[in-house]
Amino acid sequence: MHLDPFELHRPTTVDEVVRLATELAGRFDYLAGGTDLLPNYKMHLNAKPHLVALEDVRELRGHSDSRLGAMERLADLEADRTFGRTHPGLTDAIGEVATPLVRSSGTVGGNLLVDTRCFFFNQSYFWRSSLGFCLKADGDRCHVVPQAERCYATFSGDLAPALLVLDAEVEVAGPSGRRRLPLGALYDPGGDGIRRTRLAPGDLLVAVHLPPGPPGRRARYKKLRVRPSYDFPELGVAVAGAWDSERVRSLRLAVGGVETLPRRFDDLTDPLVGTPLTPEAVNRLADEVQRRVRPVHNTFLPPDYRRRMVGVYVRRAFAEAREGSAG
Amino acid sequence: MSSRELLSFRLNGHPVEVPCPSPRVLLDLLREDLRLTGTKRGCDLGTCGCCAVLVDGRPTLSCLTLARLVDGRSVETIEGVSPPRGLNPVQAAFVAHGATQCGFCTPGFVVTATALLRSNPRPSRAEIERAISGNLCRCTGYIKIIEAIEDAARTEE
Repeated sequence: MHLDPFELHRPTTVDEVVRLATELAGRFDYLAGGTDLLPNYKMHLNAKPHLVALEDVRELRGHSDSRLGAMERLADLEADRTFGRTHPGLTDAIGEVATPLVRSSGTVGGNLLVDTRCFFFNQSYFWRSSLGFCLKADGDRCHVVPQAERCYATFSGDLAPALLVLDAEVEVAGPSGRRRLPLGALYDPGGDGIRRTRLAPGDLLVAVHLPPGPPGRRARYKKLRVRPSYDFPELGVAVAGAWDSERVRSLRLAVGGVETLPRRFDDLTDPLVGTPLTPEAVNRLADEVQRRVRPVHNTFLPPDYRRRMVGVYVRRAFAEAREGSAG
Repeated sequence: MSSRELLSFRLNGHPVEVPCPSPRVLLDLLREDLRLTGTKRGCDLGTCGCCAVLVDGRPTLSCLTLARLVDGRSVETIEGVSPPRGLNPVQAAFVAHGATQCGFCTPGFVVTATALLRSNPRPSRAEIERAISGNLCRCTGYIKIIEAIEDAARTEE
Protein backbone atom coordinates (compact mmCIF):
# COMPACT_ATOMS: atom_id res chain seq x y z
CA MET A 1 0.00 0.00 0.00
CA HIS A 2 1.32 3.43 -0.80
CA LEU A 3 0.80 6.84 0.71
CA ASP A 4 -0.25 9.70 -1.55
CA PRO A 5 2.27 12.54 -1.72
CA PHE A 6 2.23 15.07 1.11
CA GLU A 7 4.57 17.67 2.47
CA LEU A 8 6.08 16.75 5.83
CA HIS A 9 6.70 19.50 8.40
CA ARG A 10 8.85 19.00 11.50
CA PRO A 11 8.39 21.91 13.90
CA THR A 12 10.30 21.88 17.19
CA THR A 13 8.32 24.29 19.39
CA VAL A 14 4.66 24.70 20.29
CA ASP A 15 4.66 28.25 18.86
CA GLU A 16 5.97 26.96 15.56
CA VAL A 17 3.27 24.26 15.48
CA VAL A 18 0.52 26.81 16.12
CA ARG A 19 1.87 29.08 13.38
CA LEU A 20 1.97 26.18 10.89
CA ALA A 21 -1.44 24.88 11.92
CA THR A 22 -2.99 28.33 11.47
CA GLU A 23 -1.41 28.76 8.06
CA LEU A 24 -2.35 25.24 6.85
CA ALA A 25 -5.83 25.15 8.44
CA GLY A 26 -7.99 22.45 6.84
CA ARG A 27 -5.15 21.17 4.66
CA PHE A 28 -3.12 19.19 7.21
CA ASP A 29 -3.18 16.49 9.87
CA TYR A 30 -1.02 16.27 12.94
CA LEU A 31 1.17 13.18 12.97
CA ALA A 32 1.64 11.85 16.51
CA GLY A 33 2.40 8.11 16.74
CA GLY A 34 0.90 7.53 13.30
CA THR A 35 -0.52 4.15 14.29
CA ASP A 36 -4.07 5.11 13.33
CA LEU A 37 -3.48 8.00 10.92
CA LEU A 38 -1.14 6.15 8.57
CA PRO A 39 -3.40 3.07 8.14
CA ASN A 40 -6.17 5.52 7.24
CA TYR A 41 -3.86 7.32 4.79
CA LYS A 42 -2.89 3.98 3.24
CA MET A 43 -6.60 3.34 2.65
CA HIS A 44 -6.93 6.87 1.20
CA LEU A 45 -9.30 7.98 3.96
CA ASN A 46 -9.36 11.79 4.12
CA ALA A 47 -5.61 12.12 3.44
CA LYS A 48 -4.38 15.74 3.51
CA PRO A 49 -1.60 17.42 1.48
CA HIS A 50 0.40 18.36 4.60
CA LEU A 51 1.48 16.42 7.69
CA VAL A 52 2.78 18.24 10.76
CA ALA A 53 4.91 15.74 12.69
CA LEU A 54 4.95 16.51 16.41
CA GLU A 55 7.71 14.24 17.56
CA ASP A 56 10.47 16.86 17.69
CA VAL A 57 8.45 19.16 19.98
CA ARG A 58 10.07 18.55 23.35
CA GLU A 59 7.39 20.27 25.40
CA LEU A 60 4.84 17.66 24.33
CA ARG A 61 6.87 14.83 25.89
CA GLY A 62 7.21 13.46 29.37
CA HIS A 63 4.92 12.66 32.25
CA SER A 64 4.58 13.13 35.98
CA ASP A 65 1.91 12.08 38.49
CA SER A 66 -0.19 15.07 37.48
CA ARG A 67 0.75 15.84 33.86
CA LEU A 68 0.86 13.74 30.72
CA GLY A 69 2.48 15.28 27.64
CA ALA A 70 0.31 14.87 24.55
CA MET A 71 3.17 13.13 22.73
CA GLU A 72 4.06 10.84 25.62
CA ARG A 73 4.15 7.29 24.31
CA LEU A 74 1.68 4.85 25.87
CA ALA A 75 4.46 2.26 26.30
CA ASP A 76 6.47 4.73 28.42
CA LEU A 77 3.53 5.24 30.78
CA GLU A 78 3.01 1.48 30.90
CA ALA A 79 6.66 0.89 31.78
CA ASP A 80 6.50 3.32 34.73
CA ARG A 81 5.42 1.00 37.55
CA THR A 82 5.04 3.78 40.09
CA PHE A 83 2.63 5.55 37.77
CA GLY A 84 0.78 2.27 37.34
CA ARG A 85 0.32 1.84 41.09
CA THR A 86 -0.93 5.38 41.58
CA HIS A 87 -3.25 5.45 38.55
CA PRO A 88 -4.92 2.01 38.38
CA GLY A 89 -7.89 2.87 36.17
CA LEU A 90 -5.85 4.86 33.70
CA THR A 91 -3.25 2.09 33.58
CA ASP A 92 -5.99 -0.43 32.75
CA ALA A 93 -6.97 1.70 29.78
CA ILE A 94 -3.40 2.31 28.56
CA GLY A 95 -2.54 -1.41 28.75
CA GLU A 96 -5.61 -2.29 26.68
CA VAL A 97 -4.89 0.01 23.74
CA ALA A 98 -4.18 -2.19 20.71
CA THR A 99 -0.88 -4.12 21.00
CA PRO A 100 2.52 -3.49 22.64
CA LEU A 101 3.94 -2.62 19.20
CA VAL A 102 1.23 -0.03 18.63
CA ARG A 103 1.65 1.36 22.16
CA SER A 104 5.38 1.67 21.52
CA SER A 105 4.58 4.51 19.08
CA GLY A 106 1.02 5.45 20.08
CA THR A 107 0.60 8.58 22.20
CA VAL A 108 -1.71 10.05 24.84
CA GLY A 109 -2.90 12.87 22.57
CA GLY A 110 -3.27 10.55 19.60
CA ASN A 111 -5.56 8.28 21.59
CA LEU A 112 -7.69 11.16 22.89
CA LEU A 113 -8.16 12.52 19.37
CA VAL A 114 -8.19 9.22 17.49
CA ASP A 115 -10.52 9.21 14.49
CA THR A 116 -13.91 7.57 14.92
CA ARG A 117 -14.48 4.18 13.35
CA CYS A 118 -17.21 2.52 11.33
CA PHE A 119 -17.52 -0.73 9.42
CA PHE A 120 -18.38 1.30 6.30
CA PHE A 121 -15.51 3.77 6.73
CA ASN A 122 -12.44 1.74 7.73
CA GLN A 123 -12.24 -0.05 4.40
CA SER A 124 -10.08 0.17 1.30
CA TYR A 125 -10.85 2.72 -1.41
CA PHE A 126 -11.93 -0.14 -3.70
CA TRP A 127 -14.34 -1.53 -1.10
CA ARG A 128 -15.84 1.88 -0.44
CA SER A 129 -16.13 2.78 -4.10
CA SER A 130 -18.05 -0.46 -4.74
CA LEU A 131 -20.73 0.29 -2.16
CA GLY A 132 -20.79 4.06 -2.63
CA PHE A 133 -18.88 6.49 -0.44
CA CYS A 134 -20.21 7.75 2.90
CA LEU A 135 -20.60 11.06 4.73
CA LYS A 136 -17.33 10.63 6.58
CA ALA A 137 -15.20 10.26 3.44
CA ASP A 138 -15.84 11.21 -0.17
CA GLY A 139 -19.65 10.75 -0.09
CA ASP A 140 -22.92 12.25 1.07
CA ARG A 141 -24.90 9.48 2.72
CA CYS A 142 -24.72 7.21 5.75
CA HIS A 143 -24.90 3.44 5.27
CA VAL A 144 -25.63 2.83 8.95
CA VAL A 145 -28.48 5.28 9.52
CA PRO A 146 -29.71 5.90 5.96
CA GLN A 147 -31.64 9.13 6.60
CA ALA A 148 -28.89 10.57 8.77
CA GLU A 149 -27.41 13.97 8.14
CA ARG A 150 -24.72 13.34 10.73
CA CYS A 151 -22.04 10.68 11.05
CA TYR A 152 -22.51 7.85 13.57
CA ALA A 153 -18.96 6.44 13.48
CA THR A 154 -17.86 5.24 16.91
CA PHE A 155 -15.42 6.98 19.26
CA SER A 156 -12.75 4.33 19.74
CA GLY A 157 -10.19 5.73 22.17
CA ASP A 158 -9.64 3.98 25.50
CA LEU A 159 -7.97 6.78 27.43
CA ALA A 160 -10.82 9.29 27.23
CA PRO A 161 -13.32 7.47 29.49
CA ALA A 162 -10.55 6.60 31.97
CA LEU A 163 -9.41 10.25 32.08
CA LEU A 164 -12.95 11.70 32.18
CA VAL A 165 -13.66 9.94 35.49
CA LEU A 166 -10.47 11.45 36.96
CA ASP A 167 -11.70 14.99 36.13
CA ALA A 168 -8.73 15.43 33.81
CA GLU A 169 -8.15 18.78 32.14
CA VAL A 170 -6.51 19.41 28.80
CA GLU A 171 -4.07 22.18 27.97
CA VAL A 172 -4.55 23.61 24.50
CA ALA A 173 -2.26 26.06 22.69
CA GLY A 174 -3.80 28.23 19.98
CA PRO A 175 -3.28 31.46 18.06
CA SER A 176 -4.55 33.49 21.05
CA GLY A 177 -2.46 31.68 23.67
CA ARG A 178 -2.90 28.82 26.11
CA ARG A 179 -6.09 27.66 27.76
CA ARG A 180 -7.15 24.83 30.02
CA LEU A 181 -10.51 23.13 29.82
CA PRO A 182 -12.08 20.01 31.30
CA LEU A 183 -11.47 17.02 29.03
CA GLY A 184 -15.24 16.63 28.66
CA ALA A 185 -15.42 20.12 27.14
CA LEU A 186 -12.87 19.17 24.47
CA TYR A 187 -15.51 16.93 22.86
CA ASP A 188 -18.43 18.71 21.21
CA PRO A 189 -21.77 16.85 21.23
CA GLY A 190 -23.15 19.63 19.01
CA GLY A 191 -20.91 18.56 16.13
CA ASP A 192 -22.01 16.54 13.12
CA GLY A 193 -20.09 13.44 14.20
CA ILE A 194 -17.32 14.35 11.77
CA ARG A 195 -16.32 17.56 13.58
CA ARG A 196 -16.25 16.25 17.14
CA THR A 197 -14.10 18.59 19.18
CA ARG A 198 -14.05 22.23 20.15
CA LEU A 199 -10.51 22.60 18.85
CA ALA A 200 -10.32 25.58 16.48
CA PRO A 201 -7.98 26.06 13.51
CA GLY A 202 -4.45 26.47 14.83
CA ASP A 203 -5.14 24.67 18.11
CA LEU A 204 -2.78 22.04 19.49
CA LEU A 205 -3.38 19.64 22.38
CA VAL A 206 -0.31 20.15 24.59
CA ALA A 207 -0.90 18.07 27.71
CA VAL A 208 -3.38 16.41 30.03
CA HIS A 209 -3.47 17.55 33.66
CA LEU A 210 -4.68 15.30 36.46
CA PRO A 211 -6.00 17.11 39.53
CA PRO A 212 -5.40 15.41 42.89
CA GLY A 213 -8.14 12.90 43.69
CA PRO A 214 -9.98 12.24 46.96
CA PRO A 215 -8.12 10.04 49.47
CA GLY A 216 -8.73 6.35 48.91
CA ARG A 217 -9.97 6.78 45.35
CA ARG A 218 -10.48 3.58 43.45
CA ALA A 219 -10.75 3.20 39.69
CA ARG A 220 -11.20 0.65 36.95
CA TYR A 221 -11.50 0.60 33.16
CA LYS A 222 -13.14 -2.38 31.50
CA LYS A 223 -13.04 -2.93 27.77
CA LEU A 224 -14.94 -5.31 25.51
CA ARG A 225 -13.28 -6.23 22.24
CA VAL A 226 -13.36 -9.16 19.88
CA ARG A 227 -9.66 -10.06 19.93
CA PRO A 228 -8.32 -9.22 23.41
CA SER A 229 -4.81 -8.65 22.09
CA TYR A 230 -5.56 -6.16 19.38
CA ASP A 231 -8.96 -4.66 18.72
CA PHE A 232 -10.47 -1.24 19.22
CA PRO A 233 -13.19 -1.17 21.90
CA GLU A 234 -16.69 -2.46 21.26
CA LEU A 235 -17.34 -0.64 24.52
CA GLY A 236 -15.27 0.77 27.37
CA VAL A 237 -16.54 1.57 30.87
CA ALA A 238 -14.57 3.64 33.39
CA VAL A 239 -15.45 4.24 37.04
CA ALA A 240 -13.53 6.19 39.67
CA GLY A 241 -14.43 7.39 43.10
CA ALA A 242 -14.11 6.95 46.83
CA TRP A 243 -16.74 4.79 48.41
CA ASP A 244 -17.40 2.07 50.95
CA SER A 245 -20.46 0.18 52.07
CA GLU A 246 -21.39 3.10 54.34
CA ARG A 247 -21.14 6.05 52.03
CA VAL A 248 -20.11 7.26 48.57
CA ARG A 249 -17.76 10.24 48.92
CA SER A 250 -17.25 10.77 45.19
CA LEU A 251 -18.18 8.88 42.05
CA ARG A 252 -17.74 9.27 38.31
CA LEU A 253 -18.70 6.93 35.48
CA ALA A 254 -17.94 7.27 31.77
CA VAL A 255 -18.56 5.12 28.72
CA GLY A 256 -16.68 5.10 25.42
CA GLY A 257 -16.69 2.90 22.34
CA VAL A 258 -20.48 2.91 21.88
CA GLU A 259 -21.36 6.36 20.54
CA THR A 260 -19.74 9.16 18.53
CA LEU A 261 -18.20 10.62 21.69
CA PRO A 262 -17.24 9.37 25.14
CA ARG A 263 -19.84 10.34 27.72
CA ARG A 264 -19.87 10.87 31.49
CA PHE A 265 -23.05 10.22 33.49
CA ASP A 266 -22.84 12.77 36.32
CA ASP A 267 -26.62 13.10 36.62
CA LEU A 268 -26.75 9.41 37.57
CA THR A 269 -23.72 9.32 39.86
CA ASP A 270 -24.04 12.69 41.69
CA PRO A 271 -27.25 11.64 43.55
CA LEU A 272 -25.38 8.61 44.92
CA VAL A 273 -22.88 10.79 46.82
CA GLY A 274 -23.59 10.51 50.55
CA THR A 275 -25.57 7.28 50.16
CA PRO A 276 -24.29 3.73 50.75
CA LEU A 277 -23.05 1.95 47.60
CA THR A 278 -25.16 -1.18 47.90
CA PRO A 279 -25.25 -3.92 45.25
CA GLU A 280 -28.78 -2.75 44.44
CA ALA A 281 -27.54 0.80 43.83
CA VAL A 282 -24.83 -0.51 41.47
CA ASN A 283 -27.42 -2.60 39.64
CA ARG A 284 -29.79 0.34 39.24
CA LEU A 285 -26.95 2.51 37.95
CA ALA A 286 -25.80 -0.19 35.51
CA ASP A 287 -29.36 -0.67 34.20
CA GLU A 288 -29.88 3.04 33.67
CA VAL A 289 -26.55 3.55 31.85
CA GLN A 290 -27.37 0.56 29.67
CA ARG A 291 -30.81 2.01 28.90
CA ARG A 292 -29.32 5.34 27.82
CA VAL A 293 -26.44 4.39 25.54
CA ARG A 294 -27.21 4.30 21.82
CA PRO A 295 -24.82 2.08 19.85
CA VAL A 296 -25.55 1.65 16.15
CA HIS A 297 -24.70 -1.24 13.86
CA ASN A 298 -21.25 -0.10 12.71
CA THR A 299 -18.78 -2.32 14.55
CA PHE A 300 -18.26 -6.08 14.71
CA LEU A 301 -20.70 -6.91 17.51
CA PRO A 302 -24.44 -6.18 17.17
CA PRO A 303 -25.62 -2.98 18.89
CA ASP A 304 -28.16 -4.67 21.15
CA TYR A 305 -25.46 -6.98 22.51
CA ARG A 306 -23.11 -4.06 23.07
CA ARG A 307 -25.83 -2.13 24.89
CA ARG A 308 -26.58 -5.05 27.20
CA MET A 309 -22.88 -5.60 27.82
CA VAL A 310 -22.52 -1.98 28.94
CA GLY A 311 -24.59 -2.92 32.01
CA VAL A 312 -22.50 -6.02 32.62
CA TYR A 313 -19.26 -4.05 32.32
CA VAL A 314 -20.47 -1.35 34.71
CA ARG A 315 -21.08 -4.04 37.35
CA ARG A 316 -17.69 -5.61 36.67
CA ALA A 317 -15.91 -2.25 36.84
CA PHE A 318 -17.29 -1.63 40.33
CA ALA A 319 -16.50 -5.17 41.46
CA GLU A 320 -12.89 -4.87 40.29
CA ALA A 321 -12.10 -1.23 41.16
CA ARG A 322 -8.69 -0.93 42.81
CA GLU A 323 -7.25 1.70 45.10
CA GLY A 324 -4.35 3.87 43.97
CA SER A 325 -3.03 6.99 45.63
CA ALA A 326 -3.87 9.21 42.65
CA GLY A 327 -6.75 7.18 41.23
CA MET B 1 14.74 18.54 4.19
CA SER B 2 13.45 18.57 0.59
CA SER B 3 12.68 15.33 -1.22
CA ARG B 4 16.03 15.55 -3.03
CA GLU B 5 17.98 15.66 0.21
CA LEU B 6 19.44 12.58 1.79
CA LEU B 7 18.05 10.77 4.78
CA SER B 8 20.90 9.73 7.06
CA PHE B 9 20.71 7.32 9.95
CA ARG B 10 22.53 4.36 11.45
CA LEU B 11 21.37 1.03 10.11
CA ASN B 12 22.54 -2.06 11.98
CA GLY B 13 25.47 -0.10 13.32
CA HIS B 14 26.58 1.45 10.03
CA PRO B 15 25.84 4.97 8.81
CA VAL B 16 23.69 5.10 5.67
CA GLU B 17 22.59 7.95 3.44
CA VAL B 18 19.73 7.42 1.05
CA PRO B 19 17.35 9.68 -0.87
CA CYS B 20 13.85 9.44 0.56
CA PRO B 21 10.57 11.16 -0.37
CA SER B 22 8.17 12.11 2.47
CA PRO B 23 5.51 9.41 1.90
CA ARG B 24 8.03 6.53 2.07
CA VAL B 25 7.51 4.31 5.11
CA LEU B 26 10.52 2.71 6.77
CA LEU B 27 9.46 -0.79 5.70
CA ASP B 28 9.52 0.14 2.00
CA LEU B 29 12.83 1.96 2.39
CA LEU B 30 14.41 -1.10 4.03
CA ARG B 31 13.04 -3.71 1.66
CA GLU B 32 12.96 -1.90 -1.66
CA ASP B 33 15.68 0.73 -1.50
CA LEU B 34 18.17 -0.92 0.85
CA ARG B 35 17.37 -4.52 -0.11
CA LEU B 36 17.11 -5.72 3.46
CA THR B 37 14.26 -8.15 2.93
CA GLY B 38 14.44 -9.91 6.29
CA THR B 39 11.84 -7.45 7.60
CA LYS B 40 8.52 -8.73 6.27
CA ARG B 41 5.47 -6.97 4.91
CA GLY B 42 2.44 -8.72 6.40
CA CYS B 43 -0.72 -6.66 6.80
CA ASP B 44 0.97 -3.29 6.07
CA LEU B 45 -1.48 -1.72 8.57
CA GLY B 46 0.14 -2.33 11.95
CA THR B 47 -1.88 -5.39 12.93
CA CYS B 48 0.53 -8.29 12.47
CA GLY B 49 3.98 -7.26 13.78
CA CYS B 50 5.87 -8.94 10.90
CA CYS B 51 7.59 -5.63 10.09
CA ALA B 52 8.91 -4.96 13.62
CA VAL B 53 12.33 -3.27 13.80
CA LEU B 54 14.13 -1.45 16.61
CA VAL B 55 14.37 2.34 16.39
CA ASP B 56 16.77 3.63 19.05
CA GLY B 57 16.15 0.26 20.72
CA ARG B 58 12.34 0.58 20.74
CA PRO B 59 10.29 -2.10 18.99
CA THR B 60 8.59 -0.22 16.16
CA LEU B 61 6.19 -1.07 13.35
CA SER B 62 8.19 -0.12 10.26
CA CYS B 63 5.05 -0.16 8.09
CA LEU B 64 3.63 2.74 10.13
CA THR B 65 6.81 4.79 10.53
CA LEU B 66 7.65 7.51 8.03
CA ALA B 67 11.23 6.83 6.98
CA ARG B 68 12.05 10.55 7.18
CA LEU B 69 11.39 10.43 10.92
CA VAL B 70 14.31 8.07 11.55
CA ASP B 71 16.72 10.78 10.34
CA GLY B 72 19.65 10.83 12.79
CA ARG B 73 18.45 7.75 14.62
CA SER B 74 19.61 4.18 14.95
CA VAL B 75 17.64 1.38 13.28
CA GLU B 76 18.19 -2.32 13.89
CA THR B 77 16.53 -4.89 11.66
CA ILE B 78 16.47 -8.67 11.90
CA GLU B 79 19.74 -8.63 9.94
CA GLY B 80 21.25 -6.46 12.69
CA VAL B 81 20.02 -8.32 15.76
CA SER B 82 21.78 -11.41 14.42
CA PRO B 83 25.53 -11.58 15.07
CA PRO B 84 27.75 -11.48 11.92
CA ARG B 85 28.24 -15.24 12.26
CA GLY B 86 25.78 -17.67 13.80
CA LEU B 87 22.57 -16.86 15.63
CA ASN B 88 21.58 -14.71 18.58
CA PRO B 89 20.18 -16.61 21.61
CA VAL B 90 16.57 -15.98 20.59
CA GLN B 91 17.19 -17.28 17.08
CA ALA B 92 19.09 -20.31 18.41
CA ALA B 93 16.20 -21.10 20.77
CA PHE B 94 13.68 -20.77 17.92
CA VAL B 95 15.69 -23.33 15.96
CA ALA B 96 16.07 -25.66 18.94
CA HIS B 97 12.34 -25.55 19.71
CA GLY B 98 11.13 -25.72 16.11
CA ALA B 99 9.35 -22.44 16.81
CA THR B 100 8.88 -21.66 13.15
CA GLN B 101 6.38 -23.19 10.78
CA CYS B 102 6.10 -21.22 7.56
CA GLY B 103 8.60 -18.76 9.05
CA PHE B 104 7.07 -15.56 7.68
CA CYS B 105 6.33 -14.05 11.10
CA THR B 106 9.64 -15.20 12.60
CA PRO B 107 11.73 -12.02 11.99
CA GLY B 108 9.08 -9.92 13.76
CA PHE B 109 8.92 -12.32 16.70
CA VAL B 110 12.72 -12.45 16.99
CA VAL B 111 13.02 -8.65 16.96
CA THR B 112 10.23 -8.23 19.53
CA ALA B 113 11.62 -10.97 21.77
CA THR B 114 15.18 -9.61 21.51
CA ALA B 115 13.94 -6.19 22.65
CA LEU B 116 12.01 -7.81 25.52
CA LEU B 117 15.06 -9.68 26.79
CA ARG B 118 17.22 -6.57 26.60
CA SER B 119 14.82 -4.61 28.81
CA ASN B 120 13.67 -7.54 30.96
CA PRO B 121 16.22 -10.40 30.97
CA ARG B 122 14.07 -12.67 33.18
CA PRO B 123 10.50 -12.24 31.93
CA SER B 124 7.71 -14.37 33.35
CA ARG B 125 5.64 -16.44 30.96
CA ALA B 126 2.84 -13.88 31.28
CA GLU B 127 5.24 -11.06 30.41
CA ILE B 128 6.42 -12.97 27.34
CA GLU B 129 2.84 -13.61 26.21
CA ARG B 130 2.01 -9.94 26.65
CA ALA B 131 5.15 -8.72 24.87
CA ILE B 132 4.46 -10.79 21.75
CA SER B 133 0.72 -10.11 21.69
CA GLY B 134 1.20 -7.72 18.76
CA ASN B 135 2.93 -10.37 16.65
CA LEU B 136 0.61 -12.72 14.79
CA CYS B 137 1.57 -16.25 13.73
CA ARG B 138 -1.06 -17.46 11.28
CA CYS B 139 0.29 -21.01 11.58
CA THR B 140 -0.69 -20.47 15.26
CA GLY B 141 2.48 -22.02 16.67
CA TYR B 142 2.55 -19.82 19.74
CA ILE B 143 3.41 -22.42 22.38
CA LYS B 144 6.79 -23.25 20.85
CA ILE B 145 7.51 -19.57 20.31
CA ILE B 146 6.82 -18.80 23.98
CA GLU B 147 8.90 -21.78 25.11
CA ALA B 148 11.76 -20.69 22.85
CA ILE B 149 11.77 -17.20 24.36
CA GLU B 150 11.69 -18.66 27.89
CA ASP B 151 14.63 -20.84 26.93
CA ALA B 152 16.55 -17.93 25.39
CA ALA B 153 16.09 -15.99 28.65
CA ARG B 154 17.59 -18.89 30.60
CA THR B 155 20.49 -19.31 28.17
CA GLU B 156 21.41 -15.64 28.26
CA GLU B 157 21.95 -15.64 32.02
